[in-house]
Amino acid sequence: MNRLSALALQLRAVWMLLGVALILVVATPFFFTSSNLMAIALAASITALLAIGETFVIILGGIDLSVGAMLGFTSVITAMVLPHAGLVWGLLAGLGAGAGAGLINGLLVTKVNMPSFIATLASLSILSGLTLYLTKGNPVGVSSEAFRLIGTGRILGVPTPIWILLVCAVVFGTLLARSRFGRQVYATGDNFEAAHLSGMPVTRVKVAAFVISGVLAGIAGFILAARLGTAQPSAGKGLELTAIAAVIIGGTSLLGGRGAVVGTVIGALLLGTIDNGLNLLNVSPFLQDVVKGAVILFAVFVDRNAGPIRIIAQSFKHVIPRAPTPTKESVPTR
Amino acid sequence: MQLKLRGIRKQFGENEVLKGIDLTVNGGEVTALLGENGAGKSTLARVISGAYPANEGTVEIDGSRVSFHKPQDAMKAGIQVIYQEFRHNLFPQLSVAENLYAGDRSGRHGRLWSNRVRMQKDADEVLKSLGMSMSPRALVRDLSVPQQQMLAIAKAIGEDASLVIFDEPTAALDQAESEALFVQVRRLREEGVAIVYISHRLTEVFGLADRLVVLRDGVVALETTPAASSEREVVQAMVGRPVENFYPKEHNGTDHTVLQLRGLCSAGRFSDVDLQVHAGEVVGIGGVQGCGKGSLLRSLYGLLPVTGGEVQLDGAAFRPTTPRAAIASGICYLTPDRQNEGLAVQQSVARNISMATLDAITSGGMVNAKAEQARGEKMRAALDIKARSVNQPVSALSGGNQQKVLLGRWLMTNPKILLMEEPTRGVDVGAKAEIYRVINEQTSRGVAIVLVSSDLPELVEMSDRVIVMREGRVVAELAGNDTTQESVLHHALESAAS
Repeated sequence: MNRLSALALQLRAVWMLLGVALILVVATPFFFTSSNLMAIALAASITALLAIGETFVIILGGIDLSVGAMLGFTSVITAMVLPHAGLVWGLLAGLGAGAGAGLINGLLVTKVNMPSFIATLASLSILSGLTLYLTKGNPVGVSSEAFRLIGTGRILGVPTPIWILLVCAVVFGTLLARSRFGRQVYATGDNFEAAHLSGMPVTRVKVAAFVISGVLAGIAGFILAARLGTAQPSAGKGLELTAIAAVIIGGTSLLGGRGAVVGTVIGALLLGTIDNGLNLLNVSPFLQDVVKGAVILFAVFVDRNAGPIRIIAQSFKHVIPRAPTPTKESVPTR
Repeated sequence: MQLKLRGIRKQFGENEVLKGIDLTVNGGEVTALLGENGAGKSTLARVISGAYPANEGTVEIDGSRVSFHKPQDAMKAGIQVIYQEFRHNLFPQLSVAENLYAGDRSGRHGRLWSNRVRMQKDADEVLKSLGMSMSPRALVRDLSVPQQQMLAIAKAIGEDASLVIFDEPTAALDQAESEALFVQVRRLREEGVAIVYISHRLTEVFGLADRLVVLRDGVVALETTPAASSEREVVQAMVGRPVENFYPKEHNGTDHTVLQLRGLCSAGRFSDVDLQVHAGEVVGIGGVQGCGKGSLLRSLYGLLPVTGGEVQLDGAAFRPTTPRAAIASGICYLTPDRQNEGLAVQQSVARNISMATLDAITSGGMVNAKAEQARGEKMRAALDIKARSVNQPVSALSGGNQQKVLLGRWLMTNPKILLMEEPTRGVDVGAKAEIYRVINEQTSRGVAIVLVSSDLPELVEMSDRVIVMREGRVVAELAGNDTTQESVLHHALESAAS
């Protein structure tokens, strides 16, 4: 991938974030305070974690609709295991549940050859149903103080969940950008057959991406339970769509082969900032989803029309009579 | 019909592709358009067909000026194009008949509801009159690539065309299918249709065309007739400099057997194939499309199941299972379909080159990006890959340079055996020469090459030995002076003739 163009796609999310932030700084005095910025990051950390996992799956040309349901499932599992087996086992149970669910998704997609949309739609339904069954629909309270610290503690004045997000972003960002596995993810997502013919373990790569998605949902799951002090069975409802939105705003192509973790995290922060700003501006919460939808459309519009927009911008500089409107095909075969 | 182009210019942004083309095409004549990739042939075809508006210049039909703003305008004037990417113009989920009449506005096959019975009957007649044997009910996605191409051609010429442009029509066809196509082209010419024929294959152009027009860098470099010219002169005009022997074959064969097949079978594809390939040797495999030559390579690479017989690599038994195992044993496979199973086109040149050899530059799971870049640069220099940088996505490169990237990926593995299928398909003259040079260089190092090609001159000239397959079996082995295009064809088609 051309470094510069890859960067430009990620940058788009940065510009949009800066733009929204600038508007909010002007519009409300409450926005640009450290406590408010911290609150934004804290709220966005859950979506960002889900979205990081989703990034791997989407670069592979798939989609994981079950991340929200996995979050609910894992947080309930953690909360239920915690009082019996202690902190470590509780966390491991949550992570294991996420990894297991991801593994099943991965196997359904690769071995059973199901489209990921359908396989993960089914697991969304199964997992959220299972979560409700296990809890009889009631929240599961957690009392362990040590566990609560994961959600409410602070290190150097910054809430723990933000640290966890940072660590995950660096670890998984590096994994994607620098490791052999990352190369295999991009190549497989770009052209599955070509990756297969190059001797890449394409099946394993796909399964691994779904497992990563599940593990990150597990992490997000216990953070949420720790922060709220209870595991809500329906906590993850609809979060998969926010996570997918963050990935797309972050410049990852739904067609696969292109994207990065940085953009995804910024995309999640942008969505969080918009939520926060609309709250501060007293906009009806019902309208917030409308605004978020518009942001997604705008991001994708810019992505699709980057060429023509540049041409229009250029034609203001030197006016060419009857400037050609290039489409994808009109790039000469040179 | 007579089509006259005067001073056609076309540019994309800064890049001027056509720099003032004057061209006249007459009815009842085949005008061949030749040139390297990027010379402007396809762009010119698109200007004629109304797909691209020209920036300057005029188009006249029978003396009156016309200007097409979209392909439909040109179609109304009787201009039809069969594009290189003909599959884009077919509907894979629809039947042959439905595809044939997709653009039919006459209402003969129904307006609101289609009259399938009549459509299939008409389609059947059209197909029969063109000598094509396919069911009008078959779904297009189930057709083979050559069949799809023939359908695209039938669709184009069925619509009362007075000018037909063929853009690389034989790229996906084998010899027999190409012959069938030539019959159609000649028939159209008899009917007075004007034909523009774009092709890289000089032999077929010399056999078919009445006039030759060579484009180079967006201008007409040579205009001549086959009788008044030679292949050598045309190639010179294409590349802009005198060329040495076009097939610079070096014989590097040794006695050491690298690959030995005994009675190899793959059920339903080929059977009882015996083959010996020596180090430094190029063994060509000839035969018509579907004779099993491609399947043989894919089986050796672990892509298709081997159902019987044995393979020996350097004297040791080898069972092809997966591409990964094949690569580890020193076998590489250059696919004929570089778009669909060759390159990851959104990824950079450097990444594509290292795709099959990541392990060597990985430590602790992390890829050494510097080494990856360095390898890319090395291959770019070694194969003369024309790219602004090794960080450019492969999609930005021309067909020939993409092919070199793919070849570079396999050279990185230091293969013992290189299985090549259509190594020069859709590749310009310059890149072709480069690929032949690589073949010589590799064989001189003792690499054994199995070459499958439907480009007969290439197959015959670049191989030390040629085996011919027919209906899944080896029917002839030709060496030395017996290796001629005629003898390959003869053995490939024998049963069809008898």
